[in-house]
Amino acid sequence: MHKLGRGSRDKVQQFMTITGASEKVALQALKASDWHLEGAFDFFYSQPQISLTNSRHLEDLYNRYKEPDVDMIMVEGVSQFCTDLQVDPQDIVMLVISWHMKAATMCEFTRQEFIGGLQSIGVDSIEKLREKLPSLRAEIKDDHKFREIYNFAFAWAREKGQKSLALETALGMWQLLFAERHWPLIDHWCQFLQVRHNKAISRDTWSQLLEFVKTIDPQLSNYDEEGAWPYLIDEFVEYLTENGFVQLRK
Amino acid sequence: MNMSPRIPVVDLEDGWRDVLAGVAKLKCILDGSNVVHFVPDEYMHLYTTVYNMCTQKPPNDYSQVLYDRYKQALDDHIESVVLPSLNEKHGVFLLREIVQRWEKHKLMVRWLRRFFDYLDRYYVTRRSLDSLKDLGWSSFRDLVFDKLKSTVATIMIGMIDDEREGNLIDRPLLKNALDIYVEIGDSQLNYYSDDFEQSFLNGTTDYYSKKAQTWILENSCPEYMLKAEECLQKEKDRVANYLHSTTEPKLFAAALFELIDRRAEEILNKENSGCKVLLCDEKTEDLARMFRLFSRITDGLLPVSKIFKEHVIAEGMSLLKHATDAANSRKDEKKGVVVGLPEQDFVRSVIELHDKYMAYVTNCFQSNSVFHKALKEAFEVICNKDVVGCSSAELFAAYCDSILKRGGSEKLSDEAIDESLEKVVKLLTYLSDKDLFVEFHRKKLGRRLLFDKNTNDEHERILLSKLKQFFGGQFTSKMEGMLKDITLAKEHQSSFEEYVSNNPESNPLIDLNVTVLTTGYWPTYKNSDINLPLEMVKCVEVFKEYYRSDKQHRKLTWIFSLGNCVVIGNFDAKPVEFVLNTYQAALLLLFNEADKLSYSDIVSQLKLSDDDAVRLLHSLSCAKYKILNKEPSNRVISPEDEFEFNSKFTDRMRRIKVPLPQIDEKKKVVDDVNKDRRFAIDASLVRIMKSRKVLGHQQLVAECVEQLSRMFKPDIKIIKRRIEDLISREYLERDSENAQTYKYLA
Repeated sequence: MHKLGRGSRDKVQQFMTITGASEKVALQALKASDWHLEGAFDFFYSQPQISLTNSRHLEDLYNRYKEPDVDMIMVEGVSQFCTDLQVDPQDIVMLVISWHMKAATMCEFTRQEFIGGLQSIGVDSIEKLREKLPSLRAEIKDDHKFREIYNFAFAWAREKGQKSLALETALGMWQLLFAERHWPLIDHWCQFLQVRHNKAISRDTWSQLLEFVKTIDPQLSNYDEEGAWPYLIDEFVEYLTENGFVQLRK
Repeated sequence: MNMSPRIPVVDLEDGWRDVLAGVAKLKCILDGSNVVHFVPDEYMHLYTTVYNMCTQKPPNDYSQVLYDRYKQALDDHIESVVLPSLNEKHGVFLLREIVQRWEKHKLMVRWLRRFFDYLDRYYVTRRSLDSLKDLGWSSFRDLVFDKLKSTVATIMIGMIDDEREGNLIDRPLLKNALDIYVEIGDSQLNYYSDDFEQSFLNGTTDYYSKKAQTWILENSCPEYMLKAEECLQKEKDRVANYLHSTTEPKLFAAALFELIDRRAEEILNKENSGCKVLLCDEKTEDLARMFRLFSRITDGLLPVSKIFKEHVIAEGMSLLKHATDAANSRKDEKKGVVVGLPEQDFVRSVIELHDKYMAYVTNCFQSNSVFHKALKEAFEVICNKDVVGCSSAELFAAYCDSILKRGGSEKLSDEAIDESLEKVVKLLTYLSDKDLFVEFHRKKLGRRLLFDKNTNDEHERILLSKLKQFFGGQFTSKMEGMLKDITLAKEHQSSFEEYVSNNPESNPLIDLNVTVLTTGYWPTYKNSDINLPLEMVKCVEVFKEYYRSDKQHRKLTWIFSLGNCVVIGNFDAKPVEFVLNTYQAALLLLFNEADKLSYSDIVSQLKLSDDDAVRLLHSLSCAKYKILNKEPSNRVISPEDEFEFNSKFTDRMRRIKVPLPQIDEKKKVVDDVNKDRRFAIDASLVRIMKSRKVLGHQQLVAECVEQLSRMFKPDIKIIKRRIEDLISREYLERDSENAQTYKYLA
């Protein structure tokens, strides 16, 4: 472009080389940061990468998986999607992708959820998404994201119209989630729920269990039964001490 | 130059010689060795001499010299006369001598001050020096008192210990000696305090430490306390007799500390005579003394009240065990009896126990708040124990029931009933589960009002007003409604009878009484639908018409299980009048049309459930009054049975009430109360959060418990579950930053 001076042109070239973005994107970022290269990088990486994706490709992709007579991707579509990605539907990366898509329900994606999610991930093809799988799977290791994904999972896995999460579903989700980050009491917790509780799990119990895992050491030395823990967690602590799994100091 | 006549200048030594002569004479007077005294002329001469020597022009102004020589004269006298007279003496004699010497010294100072008065008025004032009095007293203090104060203090302390041992001592002497310590400090008490009092208090500590150690071994608890109290009183008397009044609190504290404070545990727990034994043996006088003594030491009452509380609890547990044993032994004889006499006796015994120990708190322990609290805590333990599976709430309700049903088994007078009810209500203040009592009581009230024709409304009202006074209107409002319904029912009955007489075509030809109960006031009653006999159907229809004519929009639900019928049975021997439950009556009326009916006939014609049918048929064919004959003639009702009117039935009574076994309603009452509690907890939590908007978990739980504890003691676990339920119903949410904090959702 003849309007740009030599220095500016060099910056555009550097930006494009490092980020792989288009010239248009480079110009936008550099202008927003007043032509400071470092600022431009910050701007670029903090923005949703919508401009990198091709809307028509996304539409084609959505249409490939959606139901013929319903504007929604359902079980068959999700299954095909997983096959194309070469991913097991039970893989935790599917949970991460669903989280990006803000999916309201397991095994269902609306048009907005599917397209918006892929845009936020910054891909518009199966090939690109497959390339991203390792980094998507790695997101679960970030504490902040894990918490968001964990709490997202409750509503996502819940039956429509229900307030609570079915016990079997909850158990499966916990096994999946805590396989990624070791919690020594996960097996005791699942066994306790099946033996002593055998009912659905409330949202409050679900979210507070994560706090319990994060803040209470496996020997329960800092557990406060007069605190605000849900009663199910109180019962679990009682179960652990009764059965000698943990020696509670009084 | 015109000069006035000159007064001769007084030479120092000449003047001083005259003064010394006066001093010598004064000493003779004070010694009492002769009868000389100052004549006015001599006194005036001395005064004038000093005056002149002080008012002469310098260098003949001898004020300072005279001031110094004044003190020197006193000092010389002390050195040459006073000290020698003291040095040779000991003990009481020393005390007596120093008292005399002090008196004489004070007199001498007073006289000399008169001779040297001019110095005090002008020289001392002008130079801001010590007054002649202060100067004079300081001579005695510095030369005599300081030298002998310890010795004298020791002597006095010894005398006091002698008196403590019961020996006679010279009290006035002691007082006079002690006055020296006070006077020498010009009533500032520093000499008294530092040079006598401190040593005396230490001596007192030693004395009573040794005495306590001996007495505690040799005496029983009451004997020891008696000695201690006597000693404390004597120490008070000692202050009144010869010690300075400011010593009393310190002396008392020192003695008290050694006698009681340091020995508190030994006294209280003395084997065979300690606090517990005194309580067991009802030694009220000794307990009162114990209270008086221990109330004087810091936190002294706490261990006594603890023993008292434990004792009361033990007595209560003993009553409980007795009731349990009695109930168990009776249970072996008759199975399934719910609340019998031993349980009634238990409540009565608890009332008597409360009266007894309330009297202890009032009389022995002077209504002290620590003991009121101990008694309260003890009875909170006693009054919340189950007796053979019956909760206290149920027992208290049964006890009230027994009183209110014709004044109990003893035909109590009105005053006695009133007093008994007052006492029960007082005990109810200790009950944790007051709501459970209310529900049991309401159930029994319903029975009394509906079935006991001799119910005394006045007594019912008395009890309700007491309950209301103690626990508030919410506690009693439903029951007041019940009483009101019964009153209205009487009015209804008059109106109904008038209605029937005004509408002859509607006459049901059977006497009919109906009681209209307001839903919500009354307990919910189990009600089974039944095909009524025609005679009864007509009654129902007539009352419905009457009621509709009076109250357009009310709906009537009939509860036949609460109904009674009087039926005359015509038997071969003689007719018998039966008082029956409505269901029993309906069943018997079937036999007006048929001689023999099968179980299934009865069930289908009346539309009874099997449970009801079995129960009814059992009461009519297998129990005491066999109005029906059963085939086969065993004692168990089965669907294959057949029943026949027993025309041969007879009984010596002409009127018989046929009892129907009571269904145990305990579980239902408890379930109802638990359900109500959940509602109460939810309402409390929402009310708290609505006013606070944001609140921490522990604070919310604590406020909820506090709000509800007037009626029942909420279980913390249940509160936590209710909080969770409110979270899931979206009344509350957890703060996103702090899971221990809740927010109210509008």
